[in-house]
Amino acid sequence: MNETAFVIEDDEDLSTIFTEALQSAGYQVERLLDGAAARQRLSETAPHLVLLDMHLPHVSGADLLTGIRSDERFARTLVVIATADARLGEEYRSVADFVLIKPISFVQLRDLTQRLHKPPAAA
Amino acid sequence: MIKKFTDFLKLTPNDPDESRRTKLLHTLMLGMSLLALLVVILSATAILLNFSKLEDVALLIYGCVAFIVMNGLIFLLSKWSAKTAAWVFLLIINLVLAASDTPDKVGNGSSMFVFAIPIATAALLLSPASSFVFAALSSAIVVVLGINGNFVPNYPTLVGFFVLALVSWLSAQGLQNALKELRATNANLDRLVQERTKELAKALSRERIEAGRSKAILESIADGVIVFDIHGKAIEINPAIVRLLELPFEQVHGTTIDELTRSKALDSRNRGILAGLLSSTGQQLTSYRVLWERKTLSVSSSQVFDTEGTRMGTVAVFRDFTREAEVEKMKNTFLAMVSHELRTPLNAILGYAEMLKETIYGPINEKQARTTERIMSNSRRLLDIVSDLLDQAQMEAGKLTIMARPFKPVELLDNVHGVMDKIAADKDLALTSGLDPELPEWLTGDQARLQQILINLINNSIKFTKTGSVHFRAYRRDKKRWALEVRDTGIGIPADEIALVFESFHQVDSTTSREHGGFGLGLSIVKQLANLMGGEVNVSSQLEKGSAFTVVLPMVVSRRRITK
Repeated sequence: MNETAFVIEDDEDLSTIFTEALQSAGYQVERLLDGAAARQRLSETAPHLVLLDMHLPHVSGADLLTGIRSDERFARTLVVIATADARLGEEYRSVADFVLIKPISFVQLRDLTQRLHKPPAAA
Repeated sequence: MIKKFTDFLKLTPNDPDESRRTKLLHTLMLGMSLLALLVVILSATAILLNFSKLEDVALLIYGCVAFIVMNGLIFLLSKWSAKTAAWVFLLIINLVLAASDTPDKVGNGSSMFVFAIPIATAALLLSPASSFVFAALSSAIVVVLGINGNFVPNYPTLVGFFVLALVSWLSAQGLQNALKELRATNANLDRLVQERTKELAKALSRERIEAGRSKAILESIADGVIVFDIHGKAIEINPAIVRLLELPFEQVHGTTIDELTRSKALDSRNRGILAGLLSSTGQQLTSYRVLWERKTLSVSSSQVFDTEGTRMGTVAVFRDFTREAEVEKMKNTFLAMVSHELRTPLNAILGYAEMLKETIYGPINEKQARTTERIMSNSRRLLDIVSDLLDQAQMEAGKLTIMARPFKPVELLDNVHGVMDKIAADKDLALTSGLDPELPEWLTGDQARLQQILINLINNSIKFTKTGSVHFRAYRRDKKRWALEVRDTGIGIPADEIALVFESFHQVDSTTSREHGGFGLGLSIVKQLANLMGGEVNVSSQLEKGSAFTVVLPMVVSRRRITK
């Protein structure tokens, strides 16, 4: 069974590209286009990886990030932040596992997330 | 001097010499009349007391009365012409004296001396030279008396008359000259005093006008002004400052620098700025923006010196900059928003193109692959321009910060190669680099921004180089500084344009932007970034030979090497 990933991004085109990149990297991807929907889904399931846009309608990326980091259920969840604001990105570098500054290249995202697959516990 | 004096005399309605002589004539006549009156009274008394008989003194009394009457007539005459009156008076005196004794006594005896009276008096009463006229007249009278009386006149005494005339003439002349000089001196003094008084009055009124004018200017200008004395106490303020600071007049007037900077209207950061500005003793005019409650004020201050160069205090000018600051902020927000909104669709274009190229949606042929690559490279170029605009906006807003961390120069150069190699290769240019072994392995700096500096400079070089190479290197400049250099074999920059290449939106001429693309922001950003890092950019260039850009930076050696 493939590892699951949430792509939380309100721009449909970027969401499509990020989804394709993560699928190419071998994830089973669920697209979430706004903060409220994302919060709903996160309350139900804890994915292996969350690609999080910081600029979202209804519920901000920052709120979602705080929620994820304060919940034991997400202890094993990797958070990759996507933001256009380099300064804001710097602030989240210590909280998130990775911070990508937009524009984000398809190849860059695919290659990065490919490396993030959990290695077998035995290794 | 003499001419001035004569002019002065002409201007005066009464000749002062003339009036002096008239006065003298009147005094003499009055004195002599009183004497004559005394003689009449004494004679009358003598007759009444029977000391003498009327017949004996009758002639004397009649003579005296006649003399008094004559004096009265001459006095009336002097009202018409003082000079004529004086002549008449003296002539009569002379004749009276000639008849005052027996001819032989007058001509050659004890009464000769009486002629001395008109001779000496003439010099004072008429002109100094008129003494000689009376000496001659007296001599003539004596000679005539001698011929008539058959006696020899006393000739040596006649010579004495002329000697006396000479002495009188000299002394009267001397007196007259002395008086003239005295009058001239007095007149001069008077004029000087008048002139000084006039000047003083003028200066006073001028000063009053100037002070009034300065005050009027100070009161009517829109900028707020506070003048602090040497102890930092406000000694002069204008109405605008009261409006600007929204404080009561009394609170601003008489305030001190300390008090003003402690105001609740300032936060700690702006307090520091204002305090530093107002207490600076530098001679250069400096200005800073200060947030005063909801207002943005542009404050400039400068030292005031008197004419001797002694410091008298500080003058601070406050200008309301709120509106300008708002417009600026709006512009920057707008630019940042536009940049952000442009970046998202560009990111999408770039992403889709990459997906096509990576054959996510199935295989594509070679032509399609090349086209996809063109889409990608053009999108990247557009993204770079948008990024430049965003950087520019952030720098103008003072929001772009340098985040210094330890980094390895060798990694910096490698990363730049990774980004730029393909772009150089596309134009058939060689992109080479060098690393100075003198440079420490680790430095502290903002690697991303240093990379941006190199990329902007290399982009610029590639843009303006048709054939040849672009070489970049990092080297140690001296003990305290290191440098990044980018050297090309391009078209070069005209000498008069070198100073302008760092200006925003500037390109050497408008055709170059069409030919070489770009916005003219790259070099401006390089310069601003270098300044933010405490460094500077130097350019050397030769037309048709190439240019070299050097960014000189302070060297901060990382301690990572030690801690690791």
